[in-house]
Amino acid sequence: MSLAFSLSGQVGQCRLQVQAQLAATGVTVLFGPSGSGKSTLLRMLAGLQDCDGEVRFGEQLWQTDEVKLPPWERPLGMMFQEPTLFRHLSVRGNLTYVMKRRGKAGDLNRVVNQTRIEALLDRSVATLSGGEAQRVALARALLAGPELLLLDEPLSGLDHGHKQELLGMVSEIARRVPVIYVTHDLDELLTLSRQVWLMEQGRIVASGKAHEELSRLDGPLAQRGDATALLYGELGDYDSQDHLQAVTVAQQTFWLPAAQPVAGDEPVRLRIAARDVSLCRQAPQDSSILNIHPVQVVGLREVGPGQAMVQLALGDQRLLARISSRSARELEVFPGAQLYAQVKAVALG
Amino acid sequence: MLNDGDWLALWVSIKLALVTTVILLMLCTPLAWWLARRRLPGQALLEALLALPLVLPPSVLGFYLLIGLGPNGPGGWFAQWEDARSLAFSFTGLVIGSLVYSLPFVLQPLKNAFAAIEPRQLDMAAVSGARPMDRFFSLVIPQARQGYATAAILGIAHTLGEFGVVLMIGGSLAGETRVASVALYEHVEAGDYANAHRLAAVLLVASVLMLWALFRWQRKQSTGVMP
Repeated sequence: MSLAFSLSGQVGQCRLQVQAQLAATGVTVLFGPSGSGKSTLLRMLAGLQDCDGEVRFGEQLWQTDEVKLPPWERPLGMMFQEPTLFRHLSVRGNLTYVMKRRGKAGDLNRVVNQTRIEALLDRSVATLSGGEAQRVALARALLAGPELLLLDEPLSGLDHGHKQELLGMVSEIARRVPVIYVTHDLDELLTLSRQVWLMEQGRIVASGKAHEELSRLDGPLAQRGDATALLYGELGDYDSQDHLQAVTVAQQTFWLPAAQPVAGDEPVRLRIAARDVSLCRQAPQDSSILNIHPVQVVGLREVGPGQAMVQLALGDQRLLARISSRSARELEVFPGAQLYAQVKAVALG
Repeated sequence: MLNDGDWLALWVSIKLALVTTVILLMLCTPLAWWLARRRLPGQALLEALLALPLVLPPSVLGFYLLIGLGPNGPGGWFAQWEDARSLAFSFTGLVIGSLVYSLPFVLQPLKNAFAAIEPRQLDMAAVSGARPMDRFFSLVIPQARQGYATAAILGIAHTLGEFGVVLMIGGSLAGETRVASVALYEHVEAGDYANAHRLAAVLLVASVLMLWALFRWQRKQSTGVMP
């Protein structure tokens, strides 16, 4: 299934002009600062916001100059920033509201289990906590039997634990239903995304694979103070004595602290923040740092007064290091230079 | 207790209040929705005209209604269908008068209730597969139920309390246009204070009961506990 659109419209002060297409599988994160038009674009895709242009989803024409499919005829599930549960209905009432109206309604039991809301079904929506309400909202979106899920910052306002729980559910769901996920939170981007669209001032300024966009020096993500690289690796041995899990990236072994062996057979994602990486000319001896790997400098760029971001190649993958401009000069960091990267912290996810 | 004539007058009052309120609820539903959701030029003037019965002396309203309903007004033309010369001094005329007189009391609560419904709720219903009419009945009306209850009670209570307008266009025909408030006035004029006391007490108790029921129900609703 693929989604292609070319849309323009004016909402208040904000002029939106976007075009993009994606092979809609997995999670595509629509990332950008507040007010960049992310939510508006999502509303346009849902048919909730008037705009000009075209939207095509697979074989279906959702919008052209002649026709505009209303929201209730688009095979979508949607979550807003606020749970927006129907206030006059119970939790169960909210779920059946959707099921009654969608021909291809999902399976209630399965969705209820998946979102862990069995215990909430007979509650009034006014008594739910923020996390519970968003789980119900997710269940409701799934029960529409959607061919595409549009999630508009569904985790804003939730605490860390509930965020992780819902992020896990979204990742799981995205194996079967493509998801477009709006956020301005880098952590959510790192957890969820293989595809990312970057939005600024009503335009999609870049789109591509998340790990490439994250490490692109001329892109907005590598300019951030919390710039982080995403690498893919294979799970290796587990050292049960020291509680360390090995992950192999480009024939290099990274050791990660883990109380138990990490399960799974798919490639795992490693996050490495640029500020946790330092560089040296020679491989340091007797260092407390476990992960020291030979890298090649691909490029560097000033990202602030006296600060430089360095893009490094580890095999065909990319790592970022944020160092001082003085260090960059004294270490003679230039494209092609062979250095050692000391990685202070690696996270799975 | 009450004499037969007073029972009859009370029955006319109740019938008038119920008929008027039911018609007003139906008329005001689309009108209030439109006023709550749209911003159009001339809307302020329209709303001012619709709110006029709140401030205008009922006798002024009654006077214009008398002219309008009479043989030379549009009411006279409509009266042909009932084989009459005029709609004044008829129950139909009273209903028309009451519709005008009680309209703001039904319109305002509905308008406020509709305005309080978040647009997001409607958007969510739309992406959940609900068409506009479906949304109106499955979401707007249930969420505005407090507004409907208030509108209904105020419509009934205000129509029961009608006096000035009825005096102008009613004519106090027993069983047709003699409502309780007018019957009470006639008792007083005739010096029949015993019957006046009884009728007044019945009206007072009925009004208190109705408003008490409304406020009690509203309190229950606002504590947020759903049945």
